[in-house]
Amino acid sequence: MKEKTFITLTNGFKDKLFRLAKRLLVSNEEAEDATQEILLKLWRNKTKMEAYRNVEAFAMTMTKNYCFDKLKSKESGNLKIVHSNYQDERASLQREVEAKDSLGWVGKIMDTLPEQQRMIVQLRDIEQYDNAEIAKMLDMKETAVRVALSRGRKIIREQLTKKHNYGIV
Amino acid sequence: MELSNIEKLLEKYFEGETTLSEEQTLKVYFTREHVAPHLEEYKSMFQYFSVESNQKTTVDFTPIKTQKPSYKWVGIAASIILVIGLFYNMSPSKEANERREAELALKEAKKALNMVSKYMNEGTQDLVYLEEFGNTTKKLLK
Repeated sequence: MKEKTFITLTNGFKDKLFRLAKRLLVSNEEAEDATQEILLKLWRNKTKMEAYRNVEAFAMTMTKNYCFDKLKSKESGNLKIVHSNYQDERASLQREVEAKDSLGWVGKIMDTLPEQQRMIVQLRDIEQYDNAEIAKMLDMKETAVRVALSRGRKIIREQLTKKHNYGIV
Repeated sequence: MELSNIEKLLEKYFEGETTLSEEQTLKVYFTREHVAPHLEEYKSMFQYFSVESNQKTTVDFTPIKTQKPSYKWVGIAASIILVIGLFYNMSPSKEANERREAELALKEAKKALNMVSKYMNEGTQDLVYLEEFGNTTKKLLK
């Protein structure tokens, strides 16, 4: 595969990879690193890539696995503090910029969801993949995807209603 | 009519039973200015989703040329070194010449010294007469 074809192919979904990585890793920089890493891995395996039926779905799965590895290594190592630092930073920044912006709240609520629900809501409501695609990407059953999706959406609604009724907590 | 439709869709949405196109309808509805007041709280949710989907990465991937290191220059360098090495090995012949010259000089010197010692020995042979002279003088003195 030529460089140009590769770039046009990956340009079609690299933003999606980035958004998924950001959803999981929270930090912007780390999500960029993850995206770069995944693209590099794809490039190295470009000969095999032609054999995959759906490169995009494959890349999404790779991103998920990469982010999980990152999160795991952080949990086991002492780096956990660094991670919560990122979260703190982001929260304070968000509070400043979007103090009254309810959109920020949705993002924050989403980031508190369990990883699986978070990914599914991301893939479905933001990236607009259908459940079958999501099931394949995350190696789940379609019904399980639907259940997790419903649960995630309901949690977001519940939290939003709480915020809506009590104002900013 | 539209409102009741939206409400129905919302209900389905939270059960995870809407199709993608139905969700699109919801998104379109909730991203407009005016939303029914009792549905206001969902506005931020759908707006967030559409805003998020426009987030772009700054990562610009340019694959590094993974060319295999060419061994052409290594070969050229090796041959140059080889040639230099050959010349370097050749130069000791100059040394050998010098040594040969030195040996020649030594031979000449030895020859000269031998000659000197030969004449010396020839000279000492004549000393026998001197000894005879001494003997006679002793006899005469007795």
